[in-house]
Amino acid sequence: MNKTYGTVVMFFCLAMAVPGLNGQNLLIKNGTLLTVTQGTIMKGDILILNGIIKTIGRDIQTTDDVQVIDATGKYVIPGIIDSHTHIGLSGTNEMGATITSEVKMRDVLNAEDTSIYTAITGGVTMVHTMHGSGNPIGGENVVLKLKWGKSAEEMVVGEAYRTLKFALGENPKQANVFGTGGTPRYPQSRMGVNAIIRREFLKAKNYMEQWERYNAAKKSKKGAKNLIPPRKNLKLEPLVAMLKGDMYARCHSYRADETLEFIKLSKELGFKIICFEHAVEAYKIARELAEENIGISAFLDNWAYKVEASEGIAYNAGYCTKQGVLVSINSDSPERIRRLFNDAAKSMKYGGLTEEEALKLITINPAVQLGVEKIAGSLEEGKHGDIAIFNEHPLSAYTRCDMTIIEGEVYFDRDQYLQEREEREKRKREEQKTKEKKGGVR
Amino acid sequence: MKILKFLFLIIFAVSSVLSYPILAEFNPTYAIVGCKIVPGRGPQIEKGIIIIRDGLIEELGPAGKILIPEDAEVIEAEGLYAYPGLIDAHTSIMLETPKREPQGPGRPASPADEQNEVSNWQHTDFMAINHLKLKKSTIENFHKVGITTICIAPDKSIFAGQSVILNLSGEQPEPMVIKNPFALHINFVTVRGEYPSSLMGTMSLLRQSILDTEHYHLHSTQYLQFPGGLKRPVYNPFLEKLRPYVVQKKPIVFNCANMEDIKRALRLTDEFKLNAYVSGANEAWRVSEDLKKSDVPLFVSLRFNPPLTSIFVNQGEDLKKKAENEIYPANASHLHREGIEFSLTSSGLTKPGDIIKNVQKAIKAGLPQDAALKAMTLNPAKSLGIDKIVGSLEAGKIANVVLATGALFEESSKIQRVFVDGISYTIKQPPKGAQPSATSIAGKWDGLIKSPMGELTSTILFQQEGDQITGTISSELGNWEITGGVLSGNTLSFTIAANIMGNAMEMEFSGSAERDVIEGSISTMAGNAELRATRIPEEE
Repeated sequence: MNKTYGTVVMFFCLAMAVPGLNGQNLLIKNGTLLTVTQGTIMKGDILILNGIIKTIGRDIQTTDDVQVIDATGKYVIPGIIDSHTHIGLSGTNEMGATITSEVKMRDVLNAEDTSIYTAITGGVTMVHTMHGSGNPIGGENVVLKLKWGKSAEEMVVGEAYRTLKFALGENPKQANVFGTGGTPRYPQSRMGVNAIIRREFLKAKNYMEQWERYNAAKKSKKGAKNLIPPRKNLKLEPLVAMLKGDMYARCHSYRADETLEFIKLSKELGFKIICFEHAVEAYKIARELAEENIGISAFLDNWAYKVEASEGIAYNAGYCTKQGVLVSINSDSPERIRRLFNDAAKSMKYGGLTEEEALKLITINPAVQLGVEKIAGSLEEGKHGDIAIFNEHPLSAYTRCDMTIIEGEVYFDRDQYLQEREEREKRKREEQKTKEKKGGVR
Repeated sequence: MKILKFLFLIIFAVSSVLSYPILAEFNPTYAIVGCKIVPGRGPQIEKGIIIIRDGLIEELGPAGKILIPEDAEVIEAEGLYAYPGLIDAHTSIMLETPKREPQGPGRPASPADEQNEVSNWQHTDFMAINHLKLKKSTIENFHKVGITTICIAPDKSIFAGQSVILNLSGEQPEPMVIKNPFALHINFVTVRGEYPSSLMGTMSLLRQSILDTEHYHLHSTQYLQFPGGLKRPVYNPFLEKLRPYVVQKKPIVFNCANMEDIKRALRLTDEFKLNAYVSGANEAWRVSEDLKKSDVPLFVSLRFNPPLTSIFVNQGEDLKKKAENEIYPANASHLHREGIEFSLTSSGLTKPGDIIKNVQKAIKAGLPQDAALKAMTLNPAKSLGIDKIVGSLEAGKIANVVLATGALFEESSKIQRVFVDGISYTIKQPPKGAQPSATSIAGKWDGLIKSPMGELTSTILFQQEGDQITGTISSELGNWEITGGVLSGNTLSFTIAANIMGNAMEMEFSGSAERDVIEGSISTMAGNAELRATRIPEEE
C-alpha cells in the first residue's frame, strides 16, 4: 500500500466519520412511534437536538426555539433505507472494460437528480447507490442521505461500509455489445465470469505482496538505496482492501448455483460478501446464506423479467427471514423507490411476517447491511433524526408519507408541497387569463 | 486555355507565398494624442498621449508632459478612450477541428481488460499551434471587439492537448506566439465504445494517469542516478508528455461544464497538488464556497446556456428561458460580489462578436464595468503568466491598445482602431448614415475572374443578412468561402478564403454591386485581378 495515498484515504475516511452533524432541533409530538427495535409507543414524542435523537418518550417539554410537529393520529417510523439503487448519479456502468474496480460512484454524484425528491416523497431517507451490473467487478458504491437541495458532499454517509459491486450471470456475460459495432468481449459464460474475478483477485494478491516486499525492504537497511515503490494500481487497490477486510462485496446474482459458487470463491480468496442483490432464488439456499451470515437485498414480488430471474416467488423475503437470513427490500428503481412500504407490507401476506419483521425489511435490516445501524434504521436515542411520518400505518394499503425528516430537518412536507403547487397553478391560470385578455383586445 | 489556367493557378500560388506579413521591418512609431487613457492599472488620464515604438508602449502620460517624437505618426484621438487590448484566456475559435481516428470497435476480444492501462488514444501531444486555422476575417472580428490576445486551446477528448497564447498581430502563427505551450487542457468527457465510457471511468483514468506519471518520473530519475541494480524503466511517450504538468506543475486547465465538474477539478487539484485552472465554469456561482477555499484561477465562459444536468433545464420552458437570459448571465456578478477573482473567456462561443454582447449581458446582470474590464485585461494576464507584458497600458509593455468612441462596454461605444504589437488596425465601420442597402445580391451569380495571367470562370453564391455578406465561389480550383462581406449602398467588399494547391490564403475584394452586375477587383500581393459577375436569373 502506497503510504501517502493510504494516509490520504484514511484522512478522508476519518474526516467523514466525524459525526459533526449540522442538524436541526425538532420535536415530534403525540404520534404513534413504530421504533422497529423497541416496540410501539402510543402518543409518543421524539426530541431531536442538532440532528440527533435526544429523547423518546411522552410529554417531552422543550424550549421555544425548537420547532414542533404535531403528529397526532399519525405514524412515525425511522426513515426508510433502500439498500440497492442507482439514483443521484451521473452514470451507472463503466462499460469500457470488464473489470472496473477503480471507478467510484462517489466521483459522479448528481445532487440534482429529481429521483432524490421522488424518493423522499415515499419516506426514504438513505440509499445505497451502486455501480450497475454490466461488469463482473464494477465500481465502489456509496451511501447517501437524501438531503434534497443540499450539495452532494453533504449527502455522503461516511459511516457506511465500503462496498464493491460484483455481478454474476447474464448481465456481465451479455454486456458484450454496446455502442456501435462492439465485438463480443470475454467472458461469455458463467464460468468465465467466475474465472475473471478469481484472476483479478490473484493479481491483487500478487500486488499486495509486491507492496509488502517493498515495505519490508524499506525497513531493512540493505538495498534501500535503489528501491522504488511498486506502481500504484487503482484497479487492484479496492480488491486489496477487500482481502484485508476493509471493504465488502455486494453481488448481483439470480441463480442459486452461481450464488453458491461465488460464496465458494469468496472463501477461496478470502473476502467477505455482505449481501446478494436480487437473489430471486435465495429461498433455495436460505440455510447456506444464513450459515455464512450473508444477507440478501431483493424485490418483494418482481421476477420472471428474464429467464435467469424466472424462478422467483413472493415468499422469498418472508421465508428467508424466517430461516435467519438478513433480508432487505430494495427498489433498484427511481419509481418503485417511493412505495417500498407497500412492498414491505406484502411480506405479511406472502411469508407471514409480523408487522415489525415487515418494517425491518426497509429500515434496520438494510441499515445493518450498509453498516449504519448505529446511526439509522430505528427510532432510538442517540441515532440520527432520520424519520418518516405517515398518515396511516405504513403497512396499510391506504397509507401515504406526509413528511420526511433527515437529521431533524424537514425535506418533504406534503401539505406544504401541495399548497405551493396550488399557488403555482393559480398563478399560471391568472397569467393565462391576462394573456387571453390581451389577445381579445387585439 | 489549359495553359492559361495553369498560369492563373501559379499567380495565386505565388501571391499566397508573398502574403506573409513582414513584421520586423515595418514598425512605424505612433503618437496617440488627446485620448482619455484607461490604463487598467493606475489612475485614468483625462487627456493623454501614448507613444508606440517598435511594437511597445514607449511612454504614456498626460498631454503636455509627453514629448511627441519627430518621427511619430500622430493619431488625433480627441474624444476617444484608450484601453489595454482585451485578453481572451480560453477560446477554441480558430482551432482546426482535429481529425480523430475513427473510433472502431476498439474492444479486444481477448480476456485482456488492460485497455485502460493508459494507451495512446489520448491527445496530450495535440499542440494547438500546429492546428490553427488563422483567418484574417476572424482576427478582424476579434479586433472589432477589442481583443488583441487570445489563448487557443484544444477542446476534444479527455487529455485534449496543449494551448498556445497568441498576440493577434498577423496571419502566421509563429510571430504571434507569446507562450507555447501554455497549459495542458483536460475535459471531463468520455469515449464512446471504449474505456472510459463513463464519467467515473474518466475520473479514475485521470487519477491513474497522474499516479503513473509520478511513478514513471520517480523510476526514471532514480534510474539516471543509480542505474545499477534497478530495472530499466520502459519509455512511455504519453507519460513523458504528462511529466511537465504533473511533476513540474505546469498549468493544467480543467474544462468544467457544470458545478460538479468544478468540484471534481478541485478534488483532483487537492489530491495531487496540481497547478490547476478551472475553465468553462458557467455554474461557478453555485459552488462559490468551494472556490473561495481554493486558490485555483477561474476562467469563466461567456456562454450562458445552462448545462443539461442543471435543475434549471428540467423544470419547464419558462425556467429554462429565465436561466439563459437572467440566471446564468449573472454568474460573473455573483462571483464578483463574493470577492472571487476570475477572467471572462469566449470558451464555448463560436463567434468573437458574441463576446462583447455577452459581456454587456453580464454587466446588465450586475457586473460592474470596471470588474468586467479587469476580467478581460489584468486578471487573464496574471493567470496566463503574461502580466509583465500585456494586460494594462504601461510603458514597456506590448503596444496592445484599443481606441473606442466611448466607455468600452457601453452599447453605444464603437471601437475605431486597435494596435496589436504596435501595428495599427482600423476597424471597418459601416459608413455613417449609409443607406440600408437597397440592393440584394443574395442568390447565384456567374463570375469571371480575369488575372494578368489567365481567366477563371466560377459560380458565386451570395447570402445576405442586412448588410452582411457571406457565400462561396465555386470553380475548377475548388470551393472558396466568402466571409466578412459588407454591402453598403452599392459598395461591396468581402474576403475570399481560398485554398490553392493546399495553401490557404485570403484575398480581398472591393467593388460595386448593381441589381444584376457586380464589378470590382481582387487584390493580392502579386497584383490585382478583376472580378465581374452577372446574376443568374432564378427559375420560376
